Amino acid sequence: MTQAVAIIGTGQTECGKRDDVSYPELIHEAVRRAFEASGLEAEDIEAVVSGSMPPAMEGVANPHLYWVDAMGAANKPLIRTATCGSTGMSLAHTCFYHVASGLFDLVMVIGAEKMYEGDPQGTMATVADPFFQRPFLAGAPGIFSLQSNEWAHRYGLEEKRVRMAAAQLSVRNHNDALLNPYAHIKVKTTVEDVLASRVIAYPVRMLDVCPGSDGACALIMASEKMVKKLGIKTPAWVRGIGYCGEEAFFGEGDKVVWQSAINAAKGAYKQAGISNPRKELDVAEVYNPFTFQEMLFYECFGFCDFGKACELVEQEVVMKGGDLPCDPSGGTLCTNPIGATGLQRTAEIVLQVTKKAGERQIPGAKTGLAHAMGGLDQFNGVMIISNTLQ
Amino acid sequence: MEQEVAIVDAVQTRHGSALKENIREIMFSTVRQLLNRVGIEKSEIGTMVSSSSDYWQGISCSNSYYYDAAGANLKSGSKAAEDSALGFHYGAMRILSGHYKTVLVTSITKCSEAPPVDTLTHLATDPFFQRPVGLNETISTALQAKAYLHRFELNEEDLAGVPIKNLANAQNNPNAHRKGVLSLDDVLASPTMASPLREIDVPNTSDGACAILLATKEVAKDLTKRPVFVQGLGWNVSETFLGDRDLLNGSLPKAAKMAYKMANIEKPLDDIDVAEICDTTSFNEILWTEQLGFCAPGKGTDLLKDGITSMGGALPVNPSGGLFGANPYVARGLIRIAEIALQLKGEGEKRQVPDAKRGLAHSVHGLGGQLHSVVVLGV
Amino acid sequence: MSGQSRILEGYVSLPYRWAMGETTTRFFDEFKNKKIMGTRCGKCNRVLIPARSFCSHCFDNVDEWVEVGQEGVIKTWVAVNFSYEGQPKEPPYILGIIELDGADVGLPHFIGGVPMDDFDELAKKVRIGEKVRAVWKESREGNILDIDYFEPVD
Repeated sequence: MTQAVAIIGTGQTECGKRDDVSYPELIHEAVRRAFEASGLEAEDIEAVVSGSMPPAMEGVANPHLYWVDAMGAANKPLIRTATCGSTGMSLAHTCFYHVASGLFDLVMVIGAEKMYEGDPQGTMATVADPFFQRPFLAGAPGIFSLQSNEWAHRYGLEEKRVRMAAAQLSVRNHNDALLNPYAHIKVKTTVEDVLASRVIAYPVRMLDVCPGSDGACALIMASEKMVKKLGIKTPAWVRGIGYCGEEAFFGEGDKVVWQSAINAAKGAYKQAGISNPRKELDVAEVYNPFTFQEMLFYECFGFCDFGKACELVEQEVVMKGGDLPCDPSGGTLCTNPIGATGLQRTAEIVLQVTKKAGERQIPGAKTGLAHAMGGLDQFNGVMIISNTLQ
Repeated sequence: MEQEVAIVDAVQTRHGSALKENIREIMFSTVRQLLNRVGIEKSEIGTMVSSSSDYWQGISCSNSYYYDAAGANLKSGSKAAEDSALGFHYGAMRILSGHYKTVLVTSITKCSEAPPVDTLTHLATDPFFQRPVGLNETISTALQAKAYLHRFELNEEDLAGVPIKNLANAQNNPNAHRKGVLSLDDVLASPTMASPLREIDVPNTSDGACAILLATKEVAKDLTKRPVFVQGLGWNVSETFLGDRDLLNGSLPKAAKMAYKMANIEKPLDDIDVAEICDTTSFNEILWTEQLGFCAPGKGTDLLKDGITSMGGALPVNPSGGLFGANPYVARGLIRIAEIALQLKGEGEKRQVPDAKRGLAHSVHGLGGQLHSVVVLGV
Repeated sequence: MSGQSRILEGYVSLPYRWAMGETTTRFFDEFKNKKIMGTRCGKCNRVLIPARSFCSHCFDNVDEWVEVGQEGVIKTWVAVNFSYEGQPKEPPYILGIIELDGADVGLPHFIGGVPMDDFDELAKKVRIGEKVRAVWKESREGNILDIDYFEPVD
């Protein structure tokens, strides 16, 4: 049994420091909005999928069991998926398989994080094994700076040029976030501001780095027959998914020609029948907790040749009005409730291809790519979403 | 459900109190042994779904630590957290989707490396209401057990047969961690832990791992002479707050209903030959057998006393010794499924239930039995 | 190989700050005045304790506050006689699920005011279905432990 899967509703919370609500209340906010967007109620949903970062992030083990009431999941099947930064995309995939398997026709997926309740960098340091890597890989910026330096060195990219391209991406993301009602960081910034901001982990500067946010995102997925039954007018079809993981040891694999990212995109393109992503994709939400990393992903996803990502920025291909606008939501760079982040990427593509993205709508967007990265710089997941089934 | 998904084979560790290899090593050797048994290479695995728990592992994003050790380097994979039976459901869904022909399902827990169950499950309560009063797994179960004994006018002695039966069964299981011969006096002499539960009623934790290879029907038939088919899948969750629930009528009947409907089971006691149930405590085996529909509510102790759930009875429960035999917390759900696969393949050796054609594997996690899973397998 | 495997000992301890939201904040603020307030769902009419901002059954917002009784009935109970890290009290102690008068769900809390030296004697005093009453702490800070325990009503 295999059936086509559509996303028929999205619900996002405003993100930021959400001390106004408890963790379950935050979840409930996203879930209610997904119901409102789809015209459905909790009783209509057949199964639920949920996830977040390591539960140490909020200090409550088994968050899926803590969220049951808030998700309307009581008396339903529930699975928790968690794969670190890629949790949101892994969640979208888990939900996809619930429907694609034929076991269910209407399934809700929720990802969330409340990063102001714990110690995000302290939590993330516990992702590294305690024997070899934990003392050195404390916190995310360090890891990504290692990767970024290696990338620039591999292709002989001038530091000044890379920094400029990264700064332009930072400005683009910050500008776009101003138009996204759910975004966390809403600050107008300039290239000069980025270049002058404090070094966090060289070469990564303050304005190259994402925040930690409180926020939740919910999606509702339906089978083709349920889309017809409910008379959904603007379904967003999941056309392809790809996911790939690699070694636990950071130094083992190549993080520049990054095989897990390459494989994840290839797998999704193959299912979606995409041979030239630069031409066939209208919009992409590339997971970009760090500006430098966004460029590295352009290369791995085949948006350009290896070593050429700076050109995509310099020629404004990835800016609004370009061939392949990226991260019109403002991206992870401006909003990062980690367990929800991959779902937010997915939700933005759903909104874009169904023409519901409001002020940040990319004109004529029909097919888009959503992505998230996780593990110890180790997992990549991709989903291709289109407004048509074929 | 059509019999579209099959178990090719399953491998478990020799479970123990403190396995000396690290998690990556144990994961690797378990998967390697499975591949050797089936006679395939890593390249023939389509995708991998694993189950583990960040708190139980002390390494967050727990699957990232052993992902490549589980044979999944440069493959797609995912994690169903906290209960490996849910990883099995997810693995089956990946096959049913038509995306993969083979799925490796794995799980590992080294309880010897983590704080005790009751410390960790205390952290699984909300911080405002249930944590400050100290709820955890054992205490929640005791509250449930007290309500049960009260409703059906039973006493603690009525539960005593469970550890006696299961530890005796464990003597026939070479992978079991604990085994032995207990008398009723031994059980009743055990000190009270959380009334009405005695220390002996609550299985200690273990280290252990399990790996199962799932495949489409066609591929399974190529890879093994005795494929075991997935006939029914069911899982279901209850409300968060203990005080909101009917502690004696939770989510298990709903999980069972889903699985039984798929498997066309109307009379579980007649239609099922063998069951492996998460006997999280002595009392829980009784309650779960009732809620799986093996008998009427309040009659679970009769089922036990009449020998129906003993080896040689109409529906032996936990020939492996259950959690009394070994309790590697997150991996235990997958181990229940592996044990049923073993029975249906006729490879149960000293613990074999004769002519077992259809079996049930149950798993549960969460306070008071919040999230239950039921898998029905058949040949 | 020596056959030896050593243990690396470690501890993961992180600070937390948990947002309560307005409903829980008010629920605990009322404790300072020795009031136990629930919220009633306008659809299913259930009075929920602790007060919630939404009803998970009807899946709608809830904002009607109602005071519930200081007394309630024991739905079930346990005498805890083992230790674990992070435990709120030295064992032995009693924990119960108490359905307060006027509430439709139970509240887990301590049961006290009974001698703990003999479990069999205890079982005669603490019984399912019997009444208990909230005993408040003298100094109340606005959290669940402002209620010291529930004691049997003779």
